[in-house]
Amino acid sequence: MAEPLIAVRELTKHFRASRRREGLWGGIQDLFVRRYHTVRAVDCISFEVVRGDMVGYIGPNGAGKSTTIKMLTGILVPTSGEVVSNKYVPWRQRTAYVKTIGVVFGQRTQLWWDIAAIESFRLLRRIYDVSQRDFDERMELFNQVLGIGDYLYTPVRKLSLGERMRCDLAAALLHNPPLLFLDEPTIGLDVVAKDHIRKFLRAINERYQTTVLLTTHDLDDIEQLCRRIMIIDHGRLLYDGPLGLLKQKLLRTKMVKFALRDSEQAARVRALAPELARQSLELEPVDELTYRIRFDRTSVSTSALIQQILSAVEVRDLLIEDEPIEEIVKRIYAGEALREVTA
Amino acid sequence: MSLRNVGIVYRKELTDSLRDRRTLISMILVPLLLFPVLMVGLSYIAGEVIGEARRQPSRVMVLGGEDSPGVLAALRQAPKLSVLPGRPDYVDQISEKRIRAAVEIPPGFEAALEQGNQTAVKIYMYEGDLKSQVGIERLQKFFRDLSDRTVREHFAARHLPEGLLKPINIAQENVASPEKVWGALFGGMISYMVILLSMTGAMYPAMDLAAGEKERGTIETILCSPVSRTHLVLGKFLMVMTASLATVALSAISLGGSFYGLGRLAVMQADKGPSLQMAISLKSIAAVLTLVLPLAVFFSSALLAISLFAKSYREAQSYLTPLTFVVIIPAVVAMLPGTELNAKLALVPILNTALVSKEIMTGTYHWKYIAMIFASSCVYAAAALFIAVKLFQREEVLFRA
Repeated sequence: MAEPLIAVRELTKHFRASRRREGLWGGIQDLFVRRYHTVRAVDCISFEVVRGDMVGYIGPNGAGKSTTIKMLTGILVPTSGEVVSNKYVPWRQRTAYVKTIGVVFGQRTQLWWDIAAIESFRLLRRIYDVSQRDFDERMELFNQVLGIGDYLYTPVRKLSLGERMRCDLAAALLHNPPLLFLDEPTIGLDVVAKDHIRKFLRAINERYQTTVLLTTHDLDDIEQLCRRIMIIDHGRLLYDGPLGLLKQKLLRTKMVKFALRDSEQAARVRALAPELARQSLELEPVDELTYRIRFDRTSVSTSALIQQILSAVEVRDLLIEDEPIEEIVKRIYAGEALREVTA
Repeated sequence: MSLRNVGIVYRKELTDSLRDRRTLISMILVPLLLFPVLMVGLSYIAGEVIGEARRQPSRVMVLGGEDSPGVLAALRQAPKLSVLPGRPDYVDQISEKRIRAAVEIPPGFEAALEQGNQTAVKIYMYEGDLKSQVGIERLQKFFRDLSDRTVREHFAARHLPEGLLKPINIAQENVASPEKVWGALFGGMISYMVILLSMTGAMYPAMDLAAGEKERGTIETILCSPVSRTHLVLGKFLMVMTASLATVALSAISLGGSFYGLGRLAVMQADKGPSLQMAISLKSIAAVLTLVLPLAVFFSSALLAISLFAKSYREAQSYLTPLTFVVIIPAVVAMLPGTELNAKLALVPILNTALVSKEIMTGTYHWKYIAMIFASSCVYAAAALFIAVKLFQREEVLFRA
């Protein structure tokens, strides 16, 4: 295995937060004596990332994703643990280190709010000591792939969220860093903009071998971009491995959706419901002529179920679907599925 | 390298501020327009109102005086008095401003004057009403003239020299230079304004550059840049100080312009009495501005530090607004007559600068105190800046939850 680009060992970050008492009397007490408790935002996590990898970092709100990113980018100093990223310790050699990384926070921009984006690019060129030639060349590339040329001279506050995100991505990559951190890069974007961003990330990953670590709530991001995912909750790493393996192990529920010829057939299906219920299968109506059955693929054979349906009614159309990945992740967050994966 | 980064941050903040309409209004427009509008506008309106009152004749009522026809006739002919016959409801008439004053002439008034006996008139007025004030001034002048004329006639009849009327004539001459007079009148106020403005000018950018940045969430993005935190905070500080000094400079210009405009206005309305000549040397202005410099550093770093601590723009606002009073109080104390500079007060921040500026405005230079004040202000400023820089390094301040 290649030498890791990022090596994280037992990384831990604790915050001290005040715990508020309830009600009016509690509010008055809080004025004089505050009670504090320690929040383990990140609790002893370890992982490695190799060059050229695209890693999805997911978890529910408050799981510790952003805190991890902030430690990896040198903004926060960890309570304990070690990080070597790009041969630097982020918080110790911060200014030298950040010249080798790019960071995008999805909900905030590093661009000047009231000024055209091009001004921010020029400023960043000076801050990162990018030569004029490299600058022109990269701007050309960004324009080709991201299409930012049309609104480079518009004040940033007038850009749409998608346009702004493209500019932010370009800004983060202006100095061609080998490592890119993205904190929810597609949040709030429409489908077209999301697609654009994903294509761009794939392109730079292929072209420059840029390593990408991204946090997201959008599992399409993961499915389309990442070969590997890490799931974190309550500051602990729950899963770290290929996406395929996760699916294979946890994909239990499947769905059969079928459309019927006419209402006569629909009545026959409804008559079938008690029989299905005996096999603990539930018939869900989608619309007048369409029905759905969920089943556990470990206890019910897909082909047997389809045969059962086809022999009972006349079907116009039939579709077999996997459980959406959201459902899997929800189960992981809920703690049910963890043992199965690690087993 | 290091100064270059501070410069980059400073330039960024400056460019940003110049595009921000709110900063432009608070930093440039308000200080430029505040004084002219306030001073010229108000004095113009006041002048108009007073002029109007002086142009119109005052409606007054005469009560009694039936046995003094000569005085009544003279009153009717007196300039700018419109005399109405007496009515018992004169108090209501004055209160309702249908008439401006009433004068009560006692019985036997003319006879008393002729015989040289002391007598009296009583004037009813509406205190605080400008037109009533003008009315009674006109009545007072009429009766003072009548009194003088009567005395003079009695003297003439007895062949007494008129000099006895006023045996001693008291003359006075001012030896204080116009600069001193002007400085004593306005020096306190001006230094007060300068100090206050050096703070208010820094307030908006301080809130925007620290708490505003936190609120917008852009603090993370700037912390990701390869500019060290010290350079970031120094660049921001320079911007805040620029705003503070720009506000001071612009208000100095606008204040000077307003006084000039006021002087012209006073010349135009020559009947308003002696006009106030603006007499202030460039040296005093330069000295005061030099002393305000460390104060501007102090305010800029202190405000930045406080704003850095706040989580949001609104929180910063609620911390900084009461702080205005902390600045106003020493400045007002310095403006009070009788507060004199001494070695102890020379070490009290803000108050010391206010006091010495007042002195400088009158053309008095206590070099010992000036040096002490400048030095102590520099120490306070350095301490505040140090705290701001240190706070910017602290995670629990930058990411206060």
